[in-house]
Amino acid sequence: MSAPAPALAKARRIVVVRLADSAEAIAVLSLVFGLLLVIFPVSFPRLIVHSWQHGRLMPAMMVLTLLLDTCLYLRVAHLLSAKPGVVAAGCLGSLPLLVVGGLSLLMQAAVSHALAADWPNLQARVGEEILAHTYLGLVSAVFLPFLVIRLLQQFKATNS
Amino acid sequence: MPGWISLKWLLWIGLYAIPVMFLPWASSRAWVHQHGSNLQFSPKQLFQRGELGLLSLILSSSVIWNLLQSQFMPHTIALGSVMLAVGGVMSVNVWVETYCRQSTGTDWRAGRAWRDSRNLALMVFSVAAVLEIFLDRLARVGGQ
Repeated sequence: MSAPAPALAKARRIVVVRLADSAEAIAVLSLVFGLLLVIFPVSFPRLIVHSWQHGRLMPAMMVLTLLLDTCLYLRVAHLLSAKPGVVAAGCLGSLPLLVVGGLSLLMQAAVSHALAADWPNLQARVGEEILAHTYLGLVSAVFLPFLVIRLLQQFKATNS
Repeated sequence: MPGWISLKWLLWIGLYAIPVMFLPWASSRAWVHQHGSNLQFSPKQLFQRGELGLLSLILSSSVIWNLLQSQFMPHTIALGSVMLAVGGVMSVNVWVETYCRQSTGTDWRAGRAWRDSRNLALMVFSVAAVLEIFLDRLARVGGQ
């Protein structure tokens, strides 16, 4: 006799995240970022620096990474036919914002440090710092939440 | 005008991939030919235990070294190095975990180990490539 639908729903397992899932997304993100840098070596960095100067870069990064992480998690859940966990959803909802917020402070410190130095072509150097921090911020905000979820799941599995 | 000169770093990074991936595959073909066997090994079969993690660790160490020698701010160098190091360590961890599982007779799946190590190696490779493009751009800005 087949089990009733609610029982089946209860029996559905929680999504087990693997780092390979986020690694694939980061590889695609890096490829796109690298290609944009190579194809538009002047206008793409200028766009990023311009957004940063007008305070639009960090909110855009937060929205982008949050959407990317959510889509990635839901895709894994769909592929595994598993239900999303509360802890993982909480991590994915907060960690990208925290990571981007924290790294924006680091970027401010790096830019202040660069501006204090007496270098030729200072504006271009500051632009390169902003560009590098933007890319590393995006990568960190996608990778670190999944790393935390993976470690939490492993810790939970070891203790149970 | 596109900065195609930045792609030279992609070729430079590719030099790491050739000895690690192409050479073992070519050697396996030579061995099979020498021993008159009909077997044919694909890269997936050769690296099914997550050996690509070793490539990732070597590649990330090399790019961290380049970052440390660059004129980026210490904050940027630290962030890039940490991200690359975490990627390299997690990648090599796939190989270690698969080896431990196989040695202890714990359940292990070759397909999963191959997929995990391939994706993580791809991630380290692409992050390393973008960082090398940044280093190239900074060197040109510094030289102006």
